[in-house]
Amino acid sequence: MSEPGTVELRRHRWRTVDIVVASVIGVVFGVVFAIWNNVVYSAISGPIGSSPLAPLVAGIWLIPAVVGGLVIRKAGAALYTEVVAATVSMFFGSVWGLSVFMSGVWQGLGAELVFALLLYRRWGLLAAVLAGGGAGLAMGLYEINVYVSTYAADWKLVYVLSAVATGLVVAGGLGWLLVRALARTGALAPFSAGRTQREI
Amino acid sequence: MTLLQTHLSTDPGAPLARRNPVAKLAAALIPSVVLLVSVDPVSSGLLLTAWLISVPSWGVGWPGLVRRLWPLGLAVVMVTLGNAVFTARKGGATMLEAGPLLITTESLATGATAGLRVAAIALPGVLAVLTIDPVDLADSLVRHLRVPARFAYGSLAAFRLAPLLAAEWEVLGRARRARGLGGDRNPLRALAVLGGRLFALLVGAVRRGTHLAVAMDARGFAASAHRTSARRPEFGRADAALLAASALLTAVAVTAALATGAWSPVLS
Repeated sequence: MSEPGTVELRRHRWRTVDIVVASVIGVVFGVVFAIWNNVVYSAISGPIGSSPLAPLVAGIWLIPAVVGGLVIRKAGAALYTEVVAATVSMFFGSVWGLSVFMSGVWQGLGAELVFALLLYRRWGLLAAVLAGGGAGLAMGLYEINVYVSTYAADWKLVYVLSAVATGLVVAGGLGWLLVRALARTGALAPFSAGRTQREI
Repeated sequence: MTLLQTHLSTDPGAPLARRNPVAKLAAALIPSVVLLVSVDPVSSGLLLTAWLISVPSWGVGWPGLVRRLWPLGLAVVMVTLGNAVFTARKGGATMLEAGPLLITTESLATGATAGLRVAAIALPGVLAVLTIDPVDLADSLVRHLRVPARFAYGSLAAFRLAPLLAAEWEVLGRARRARGLGGDRNPLRALAVLGGRLFALLVGAVRRGTHLAVAMDARGFAASAHRTSARRPEFGRADAALLAASALLTAVAVTAALATGAWSPVLS
């Protein structure tokens, strides 16, 4: 921060540490996605692949959006982290090509929109769960177009609902727990997310 | 379990591999986005065929590509079967009936169309990304698309940590193994150990990122005025031609689908 700005400006401007740590979180999740893509997802998608319940195991895709938003607490953080994660997984051998990138943009927007509606002022469990749900809704809407494009309409609805459910629980709930655990290690000291901890 | 896949050797001198990264990504994005509009075998089939024909000019070998793409093959099969079961179009002769499961010739054809479309959406991006170097991509994003340099190079710096993360992943696994964690046959127990290992990786990465940011700031990274660049990526005529060719190809595929009456928009 070279020149002193108003408090309002400083709240929205990204510091270098914001950019780098959001990117690093994106990279870690991108690498995890690459494993998930090539090992876990392929193994699990055998029994339930492309069934209306498939989104239930897809919640992991949405976690970086929630974690990025909760850690950085800046406009665009959820979208940025999710897009970085998607792009990195693309570079480490994703077979889905740019579809992964488009998914990342959509899911990030879903979570970002929720944080924006909360005026970037709420970062608790409720905000996390809602943001996860937003990302899940975006994922569902994208995937009924791409992967299950010829489903009957009522099955598409089931598909979207299970995507929202996984977003609420896995991305929102798990993402919030993850950020809380991260804060407890002290790794988030440069962020306000790491300062809201009670002293032990 | 290794963290990252082995690098797939590609020929960087191949005619399409040499193109500007932004041009490659845009050329791959055009068919991927247009195919989102309609579910039909004609446009998907034509575009998939055209991009398959282009594989040698990307400098990617067939054996390596097949080894890399097997999960996509599996996914296409699963998408086909899933759509065949859950579609509303159940005309034609019955092929399989088991309780609520019903697959007919029409539903299988519908499912196959959906599978074909997924492959056609994925392939262009796979080819483009396989031949893109992340450093070139960051340079081109800043130069040609005016992406803010702090974000492009900040994410590139984080991306460069990935091999370190992979090494750290191994160390974490061995350290845990030495303490008697891991190597369980019980999948739930193994999952818990895996979760702990991932969390340790994330904590280490965030700490490393914080140090990296301080080091970058100390070298004036945040100063945005008068930033100069060491590398100057060029967007030449061949890059424009690649873009135009991709757009033309996509237009031809869409026209063919419209002309044959196969075109069927998703939202209708």
